[in-house]
Amino acid sequence: MHKTHENTSAIGLGTRLLARLRSVGLSIPILAFFVMLAILPLFVKDEYILRLLVISLLFGAQAMAFNFTTGFINVINFGFAGFVGLGAYTSALLVIELGVSPWLGFIGGTIAAGVLGFLTGLLTLRLRGIYAACMAWFVQIALMGLATVNVDLTRGALGLVVPPLGSTLHTAPYFYILLLMSVGIYVVLTMIVNSNVGLAFRAIGQNLLAARTSGVNPTRYKVINWTIACAVAGLLGSFYAHFIGILTPDMMHFKHTVEVLALAYIGGRGTLWGGLIASFLVTPTFEYLKPLMAVRLIIYGFLLILVMMVYPRGLSGIIQGIGKRIKGHGEKGTARKTETGIEG
Amino acid sequence: MQLASVWNLLVTGTLRGGLYALMAVGLALIMGVINVNSFMHGELYMIGAYAGWLAHVILGFDPILSIISAALISFIVGVLMEKVFFHPLRRKSGEEWLFNAYLVTVGLSFVLQNIALVVFKPVYRGIPNYWEGSIQLSPTMGISIDRMMSFLIAVVAIGAFWLFLRRTKMGRAIRAVAEDARGAMLVGIELNNIYTLSFGLSSMLAGIAGAGLLSLIPAYPTMGGVPLAKSWYVVILAGLGNVRGAIIGGFIVGMLESISYYALGAGWQDVVSVVILILILLVKPSGLFGSEVKGVLER
Repeated sequence: MHKTHENTSAIGLGTRLLARLRSVGLSIPILAFFVMLAILPLFVKDEYILRLLVISLLFGAQAMAFNFTTGFINVINFGFAGFVGLGAYTSALLVIELGVSPWLGFIGGTIAAGVLGFLTGLLTLRLRGIYAACMAWFVQIALMGLATVNVDLTRGALGLVVPPLGSTLHTAPYFYILLLMSVGIYVVLTMIVNSNVGLAFRAIGQNLLAARTSGVNPTRYKVINWTIACAVAGLLGSFYAHFIGILTPDMMHFKHTVEVLALAYIGGRGTLWGGLIASFLVTPTFEYLKPLMAVRLIIYGFLLILVMMVYPRGLSGIIQGIGKRIKGHGEKGTARKTETGIEG
Repeated sequence: MQLASVWNLLVTGTLRGGLYALMAVGLALIMGVINVNSFMHGELYMIGAYAGWLAHVILGFDPILSIISAALISFIVGVLMEKVFFHPLRRKSGEEWLFNAYLVTVGLSFVLQNIALVVFKPVYRGIPNYWEGSIQLSPTMGISIDRMMSFLIAVVAIGAFWLFLRRTKMGRAIRAVAEDARGAMLVGIELNNIYTLSFGLSSMLAGIAGAGLLSLIPAYPTMGGVPLAKSWYVVILAGLGNVRGAIIGGFIVGMLESISYYALGAGWQDVVSVVILILILLVKPSGLFGSEVKGVLER
């Protein structure tokens, strides 16, 4: 008698925990995905593959931040790589010039990118989306120019050598740090998206006029969104700096923005996890195709075009479609809030 | 500052201005008529440059004929792009199509750039000049005939385009669609044809820029990046979709850039551009020649 009672309360606790996790975006498949990533380095000892995993995760996390803006408020951040670069250079220079710990550098990089994002957003987001997109792009070009010209500080195209995070030369610790960061970013962004603020984002993204008439101040929410995404870009850039060990202005090039954009779209616009999963499919594939040189970039571009033209909902649309079909057999017609993103 | 360097600034500034104006006009046309943000404009410019190079160097055409054939080829490419990618997209995606088209242009730009890389290899394909000789105004101030002709070509192309928009029936139809697509449709203008034509014309102007300036800027797969950024800069500075503003804005930006390049050097010049844009957006967000474009607040 007593025992069964304990059992049910344990089950109750479990379901409550799961529900709690789901509310922050960690539904069972996503949770399983992160756990799988976490145990992967226990089996994979090859440094090359581990580095590839880190790069995939880094791109996936960037795609998440990118999609947070593009997928929800319908503004494209064409200067994304610039904000990543600003975070990277800020963190690196803080560590090199002032000798602070890299962890403080992370904070510095995040703040720098966030502040610049806030200012550009404040100026341009009250206008059409293309203004913010182009402004960010021009800012990125200017940042790239500054990093190239100020040779005394950044060593320009020669490359700035950045000290690593610790004394270890192994990749696995970096992987865990980035994994923690990515899960953190994912959870925070999901919580925002599922909150009232996120509702406002979606309202703005879907119908600006309707949002305005129902009393949502679009500019305010757009600036909030934009600033958060830029700050996350800065944080990921800071990590990149210490992971890769050498920074050149080329890291801010427009083509890197396009790479992240493509991932976000292949993953599916308006979902946070789509880009993350897409990155683990696309990044290793393209690494494998490296001998093809430019041809693989042609494929990459066509993939983006294909997604846009044939299936604009991307990978997550396909996965959600399958998920719905499976669920359709079990529980019919139970309307539930989707984990993240726009549905339908 | 000596007179000679002032002269040089003027010459390079005007030449750059001509290039930017040509590019920006095409961009403004697409913006105004179809409302698509095109990010493949730089690649159309590249196609023009390669076409000009092929015609002049490989086929041995004379300069004017090379530029005309480059214009034709880029016109055809523009038309094909519209028919293959944007027309189906417009039919399929409904309301969302503008945003999707915008991303398709990004993808196409990426694809075209890398196709050029595969076909033409990362080698500069330029020519020393189309025309030889120069005109000396004084021992220190001169201008080569080649540069003067490039500038003339830009002016003639813009002028012809302007007349086309103002004086011909088709030009009027384009302007009508830019003003009010639904109204234009109601009076019997075939929208699809106008969209295709606008795409073709816009890429033709970019192609003329690429071929006309081949002696100054050699053809290279990634050559489109800078003119693309600059023409967007001009379009935003002048006001979205404003063709007249794009012409004047092109020359202003060309001049401005030459001066800031001279005074501050590369790198800082981009910072100056951003600062100026910030000031303008603060004071007059609709651009210098503020134009009315449909749905100004949207997307």
